[in-house]
Amino acid sequence: MKNRKTREVPGTLFVQAENCRGCRSCQLACSFAKHRVFNPAKSMITLERNLADGQTAPMIKPIGCDLCGGDPACAKACKYGAILYEAGPGKEKIVVRLLGKEES
Amino acid sequence: MKRPTTWIVRVDLSTGKVDRTPVDDALNAAYLGGSGVGWRLMSDALAPGIDPLSPANIICINPGVLVGTLTPGTPKTTVITKFPTLASEDGKHFIGACTAGGRYLGIALKRAGCHHLLITGKAPRPSYLRIHDQTIELVDAAEYWGGGIEDVMIDLVEREGPESGTIVIGTSGENLVHEALTIVDRTNSLGRGGLGAVMGSKNLKAIVVNGTGDAELADPDAFIVASERMRDSIMEWPRREHWIDLGLAAGWDTFKHTQYPGVWPKDRWDELYGEKTRMETVENVIGCNSCILGCRLRWMTKGGQFDGEIGFGSPFSKSATSGMLLEIEDFRKVIHFVADANSRTGIDFYTVTRMIDFVTKMYEIGRLNAAQTGGLELSRDYETYQKLYEMTVHREGFGDVLADGWMRLKRDFGLDPQEYWYAGICKGVDFIYDARPSNFHPLMMTFTTRPRPHHGGSHTRTNSRNKTLEEIRDQVERWGLAKETIDRIFTESDYSGKFNVGRYTRYMEDMMRVKNAIGLCTIYTYQGLLFGDDIAELYSAASGQAMTALGMVECGERINNVAKMMNVREGFGRADDAVPEVWFRPMESPEGTIEMQDYYKTKVLTKEDTDRILDDYYDERGWDRGTGKPTPARLKALKIEEFASELTGT
Repeated sequence: MKNRKTREVPGTLFVQAENCRGCRSCQLACSFAKHRVFNPAKSMITLERNLADGQTAPMIKPIGCDLCGGDPACAKACKYGAILYEAGPGKEKIVVRLLGKEES
Repeated sequence: MKRPTTWIVRVDLSTGKVDRTPVDDALNAAYLGGSGVGWRLMSDALAPGIDPLSPANIICINPGVLVGTLTPGTPKTTVITKFPTLASEDGKHFIGACTAGGRYLGIALKRAGCHHLLITGKAPRPSYLRIHDQTIELVDAAEYWGGGIEDVMIDLVEREGPESGTIVIGTSGENLVHEALTIVDRTNSLGRGGLGAVMGSKNLKAIVVNGTGDAELADPDAFIVASERMRDSIMEWPRREHWIDLGLAAGWDTFKHTQYPGVWPKDRWDELYGEKTRMETVENVIGCNSCILGCRLRWMTKGGQFDGEIGFGSPFSKSATSGMLLEIEDFRKVIHFVADANSRTGIDFYTVTRMIDFVTKMYEIGRLNAAQTGGLELSRDYETYQKLYEMTVHREGFGDVLADGWMRLKRDFGLDPQEYWYAGICKGVDFIYDARPSNFHPLMMTFTTRPRPHHGGSHTRTNSRNKTLEEIRDQVERWGLAKETIDRIFTESDYSGKFNVGRYTRYMEDMMRVKNAIGLCTIYTYQGLLFGDDIAELYSAASGQAMTALGMVECGERINNVAKMMNVREGFGRADDAVPEVWFRPMESPEGTIEMQDYYKTKVLTKEDTDRILDDYYDERGWDRGTGKPTPARLKALKIEEFASELTGT
């Protein structure tokens, strides 16, 4: 195990799930950034949908997301604080803060 | 630049036949796309004079042109049909458009290539329509028939996947109750006037849609630059923080004045139904697709007999007004009706609660008796309200009368809807605002001039009180209206005050047609966050058709005239646009006498005044003042002279 490398990432996306309002702007911004089209299926984000309480949450696919080279379109498009980006070297690309367990 | 291809999908429920044809470019150019094209298609497809609950009726579903793209807020789907609400004593029914947002429906339709979905016929048995891209099939819904909206919606989404968009009817729709509407994606109601009954008459319990395609744009690069600029600018709106905490419930400060029904003093209303009770009940605010404001709510009732009840939608304005009218002090009991209507029965909360208010009061004063109600004694208490609500949903006994709407009360019992004391009734539909506490502003006018009397997408700056003339003028300037038009609108008169409500309303309606065609939520124009020039910029990039704001208004006028002509051929004319009589009766309230005044409250308006305002409305439209119908000359100018032959006898 001692030879395992930990690659640094240029920044970290924090998913603050309870802030998600389900507007799907993140999906549309992501597919546009990647493919110049609007199509949630071509984005790196799926929208979880809890049918019991109606809550949604953006789930970003770690494989495939390249943080848009350090300026993630999803974080820019999210106007509700459900996806936040912190620039600067880090160890994790995506951190999901679960409902009711956020630190702030 | 090439305009993205859009499709007309026709489904005949009787035969199961599905047909797809592309929309002609010229049609898109003249009608903008979306519900604009939908209206033109319906004018050809829908036979005049049909029974709205017969297989011949058509449900025409149109996601807006910008739905499925990243904008500040374009989630809306507009549905056009002939509504079962009885609009007049002589048996007329209006053909109207209703509109709803949602997180899933519009975008799913768009991605499935259903730009205009026309559903006709009648399924042989209870069914739902399953759309997955180009696979469109009718699926047996025996297990869903009789089921509540939310249960069916959840089952469909579990079956079809989390991105499924849904339109579902409840038990009232199955029972062909004229007040039955539909629920989109759990959070949005669609189709006051009886869309739910139209679906029920077609044995159609639900529509579930999934799509995988792109929402295509002609010029994506220009589009994203404009859209992101607008999104960023709206983030600066000072009220946004409050708004996204409370959604539509944030409007109480305005609402408590404009929708005051005059039974309790305002401070008592504030205490029972005000912001404090709302803050305690809101769980979270839900945004429709692409919306950066968010106004739908998920709420939970705390305490009382409905402790723990969860609901979706926007319950507060509804419950506050009907709660006062029905004199129910505990708001949780009224919110229960909203929750139940949205999640189970699909009945229109406004109409059912107001009809209950009317008949219980009429019973109390002896204008209605037990022989007429089938032995049912009507008292002004919650248990009676619950009973009447349930009987209406199921068309049981006296509920069968209520299930046929206001006009049947007149026919069967001589109870004239014009006697009802709040908000007023036009074309058989009760309005949700009253022009006495609200003043006679343009939205009140459009309630009487629109074929389907509901605000659906019409809001502009004048909906709020006390906007300055400069703010109102700025809005129409940014829709590109010519200086001489604006001068006509802002000519002071002794019957309309500082601006001419009739002339303004014409353009407000045309803008509404534009907003509905592109799918823009009207909150953005209401709050002065987006204007015609913004919309034209987005539309031009999306469609590849260079449009000015004024060019869009002109298309809106064409759409509006097609809608009007479809209703002219159903027999509608000036008499049907009459202002509700209740607006001329002073409202006696604990706050004093409230009379209908002009926007700036400079004078009390009389029938003569509103008649002159209506004259000006027709004049501004280039319509005949006497008949209230378009003229051949105007139709020709709009390049829709083919409708002129339907003006015979006028």
